[in-house]
Amino acid sequence: MAISEQHAGRTYPPTAPYEVSAAKISEFATAIGDDNRAYTGAEAIAPPTFVAVISSAAWQAMFDDPELELALRRIVHGDQRFTYVRPLRVGDRVTAALTIDKVRPRGSADIISSSVEVVDERGEVVCVASSTFFHSRESST
Amino acid sequence: MVTRSLTAEVSVGSILPPLTVRFTRADLVRYAGASTDFNPIHYSERFAAAVGLPGVIAHGMLTMATALRVVTDWVGDPTQVRSYFVRFTKPVVVPDDDHGVAVMFSGTVTALDGTVATISLDAVCGDQKVLGAARAEVELQPAPAPTGAGTDGRVG
Repeated sequence: MAISEQHAGRTYPPTAPYEVSAAKISEFATAIGDDNRAYTGAEAIAPPTFVAVISSAAWQAMFDDPELELALRRIVHGDQRFTYVRPLRVGDRVTAALTIDKVRPRGSADIISSSVEVVDERGEVVCVASSTFFHSRESST
Repeated sequence: MVTRSLTAEVSVGSILPPLTVRFTRADLVRYAGASTDFNPIHYSERFAAAVGLPGVIAHGMLTMATALRVVTDWVGDPTQVRSYFVRFTKPVVVPDDDHGVAVMFSGTVTALDGTVATISLDAVCGDQKVLGAARAEVELQPAPAPTGAGTDGRVG
């Protein structure tokens, strides 16, 4: 059965713990061309959009769900929201868990609203990453 | 780390220093590795064409990350960002040459609620807006207390 409105509310188990390292923060900051000093040194914080690195593992759980019959080549990222409680820091060990909030059919596509909660070792929410994906149904061509 | 203060210079309509960034294929490869987003539409012309794209395109998240630099360069301390939203409206096509493609990023203060400023962001590539409804909320420092003779009304 392909993805449908009935999949709203579906949740996936949290990802394996991800440990934020100074090296990965530095690599990410370089990749986005950002030389803000907050991203350097042993006390570094991660750039705000670094959360995507962690939430992408949670997105994968949904993309790989065989029941939804999603295909990466038919998925377009429509929008992205991050709501921050605190920044990610070097040494944080966090997990990410995805919930499908809503599925709406529109034309030949399904619009999937999802949210990923990034939680630290104490169980406290660090950030919520909410995304909309457009998934085109298989065309007849 | 210094955070921008909510001085009289900050008001609705304030324009932040803009930023122009060129994205090359090398930048996409670097972002793919850093972000672990290895979707081949970001490096393979063949794959991009097969899914109907006009060419290899930049990661939307790279455009999103770069646009936020307008905000964090201005506010100083990135921990002050409370929320950030973008809609990915048009793909940024990145040619296979040494020059890449230029994207112009700009930001304007569009709301002030206490010490929280909403910055609306634009990202333009060629004549197309590549992000829609992009906005970040940042917490500014309260305005510094007035200083100088006669402004201290406290007794004793």
